[in-house]
Amino acid sequence: MAEELRREKTRADFVDKIWGVFTSLKLVITLLLVLSVLSVIGTVIEQNKPLQEYYRFFRPETVALFGRLGLLDMYHSWWFTACLALLALNIIACTMERYTFIMRGMKKQGFVLDEKLQAGLTNLTKIKYSLPAETVESRVTAIAGKNFPARPVVTEVENARHFFYEKGKYTRLAFFLTHLSVLVIFIGAIAGSLLGFKGYVNINEGELISSVQARQGENKGLNFSVKCNSFNVDFYPNGAPKDYRSDLSVIRDGKEVARKTIRVNDPLSYEGITFYQSSYGKLPDEVTLEIKDKDGLSLGTVAAPFGRKVDIPGGAQIELLDFREDFHLSDGSEAGPVYGVNLYSPGAAPNGIWISETRPEMNRYGAYSFAVKGVKLRKYTGLQVNKDPGVWVVWTGCIMLVAGIMMAFFMSHKKFWIRIGKDKKGRVEVTAGGTANKNKHAFASEVERVVESFREVSS
Amino acid sequence: MTNSLLFGISIFVYFFSMVLYVSYLAFRSETLGKVATFTLLAGVIIETAAISLRWYESYQMGIGRAPLTNLYESLVFFAWTIAIVYLLMERKFGIKTAGAFVTPFPFIIMAYASLNPNEIQPLVPALQSNWLISHVVTCFVGYAAFAVSFGVSFLYLFKINAENRPVRKGEGVLGYLPASDLLDEVGYKTIAIGFPLLTIGIITGAFWANVAWGTYWSWDPKETWSLIVWLIYAAYLHARITKGWRGKKAAVLSIVGFSATIFCYLGVNLILSGLHSYGG
Repeated sequence: MAEELRREKTRADFVDKIWGVFTSLKLVITLLLVLSVLSVIGTVIEQNKPLQEYYRFFRPETVALFGRLGLLDMYHSWWFTACLALLALNIIACTMERYTFIMRGMKKQGFVLDEKLQAGLTNLTKIKYSLPAETVESRVTAIAGKNFPARPVVTEVENARHFFYEKGKYTRLAFFLTHLSVLVIFIGAIAGSLLGFKGYVNINEGELISSVQARQGENKGLNFSVKCNSFNVDFYPNGAPKDYRSDLSVIRDGKEVARKTIRVNDPLSYEGITFYQSSYGKLPDEVTLEIKDKDGLSLGTVAAPFGRKVDIPGGAQIELLDFREDFHLSDGSEAGPVYGVNLYSPGAAPNGIWISETRPEMNRYGAYSFAVKGVKLRKYTGLQVNKDPGVWVVWTGCIMLVAGIMMAFFMSHKKFWIRIGKDKKGRVEVTAGGTANKNKHAFASEVERVVESFREVSS
Repeated sequence: MTNSLLFGISIFVYFFSMVLYVSYLAFRSETLGKVATFTLLAGVIIETAAISLRWYESYQMGIGRAPLTNLYESLVFFAWTIAIVYLLMERKFGIKTAGAFVTPFPFIIMAYASLNPNEIQPLVPALQSNWLISHVVTCFVGYAAFAVSFGVSFLYLFKINAENRPVRKGEGVLGYLPASDLLDEVGYKTIAIGFPLLTIGIITGAFWANVAWGTYWSWDPKETWSLIVWLIYAAYLHARITKGWRGKKAAVLSIVGFSATIFCYLGVNLILSGLHSYGG
């Protein structure tokens, strides 16, 4: 029996200890500082870059080690997530711990300014009047009613009337607002990553798409199509970009259901999926090439549409596959626009070649040389595509956080008492004092001002 | 350009106010103190005119935008907010001796700003947003409050260290400094102003990022550093409000917090790369 009791007690002690750790301020401060120090790492080591980028700065073993430790995507690593989870648990525990205390503070109590309460107030004032009690009461409460809610709790005890004023009771809830807001933001972020997706899509001018490339790699089908009617860029006189505009239509069952010209800070949303202007570029629709032989003798011209094999004189085929607007050669010099073409010569492996528009002397490949005679470019718009059903939860959390912080720093629960009784000589005596749970200094001067006006009643 | 002329004058005025505040600390003449405050106020007025003029000039150039969009303009705005927040604190708490520790900021920041290119450039598309002003203003007034807290905390530590030396207690500069408790209180009060502003600044930034890039948080170095700053001051507030950390420990944490703030503002732009590379 005794053994069992002891075991029970040890278990209770153990639970108490754990609870104590989770509600301790030490844990809060440690976690906040640990999180901030850990976050520094991710700003020093750039996150989620292609591995080649890391090899420029670190040895391959180091990069491998970083990868194993999760340092290349540290904000999603198990240990960073664990710290955030610990913070969440810590917040939950502290909120539970504080609940009773805060609720008790909100209860209406202490309506009577008795001896005990008087002893506890630092700014207690007594004023004597040679006026009738009714006059004093009506004037004093009128003054108090200007600073505090007009309807105090009135109690009559031992031939004295007590008035209890209260303001900002609900500011005590600031604790819940600020702390639970962090949990709300976490929930919103988790909801967003579980139920939403992030992706991108390029749409050629005049064309439409019905799926996007998700960040995770897979293609994500949409329930509708998006058409890019036009894309335009404006530039300032100094050459800096001024405005990117994509005129987009949402098409469903062959009908246009929405249309909007999006800009960088003005996206299009449809059915919870949002399209953001993110980049743009050009792709050749068709390139007209003059085909020459080794000696520079013209064999004829060929129009090569994008992505289609076409025959060229001499028995070979070409296929236009790529385009760079500003090509840089390996020696650093600029080659201007170049076209990526696959050259299929009979009896040889396909050869990927770059054909320069401005430097035709570079375009010699085997038996051929090429010259660009004409090109039809088509603009495309690059869109970031995003679905995040958790974002409103996050904003709710943010509003709670700001409201909570404002309440916590700039508002307080203020209580003010007036007792109107008679002193030993039978004169009317007003006793008044107040207290606040925060910002006591400022409230003390507020009380002082009110009480000063009480004094003026007697004169 | 006339706005740069006015900015140039304000650098000199800030310089003189710094010299006057330091002299006030050294010579303890009330007149000197008054002149110092008025000089700083004059600096603020001249800079206000300079900022307004720059804003107006941008409209005349057909660009028309708030002057808050590159490193030069943000530095200038930072100096301005620090001077204003300090003046308000001086008026409210009468801590004129702290001026010697705070006024070097407007001067140094303005001088540093003058080394940066200051043409009025048009806005790139990402910055064309109504969120620009609220985001930048809340962040920088927050930073400025932290700067004042830093100066006051520095003075606090200076005073505490001097007091611990047994010689000539209560004499010299020491007896002239504000009470340690008051410095401690002002150090806290300014953080209590800066923290909500930083919070709003981070949230408006997140909201804007969500409108512009479709993601409210991408762990970009600027975002991460602003969170680091926020976490440090959150730790400060928890330690102070709940655990009653005061005095030395609080002052040290305030100094650490402002160092992180400066890194968040300048270090990230100068050393690390990311979405804020245009300098805001």
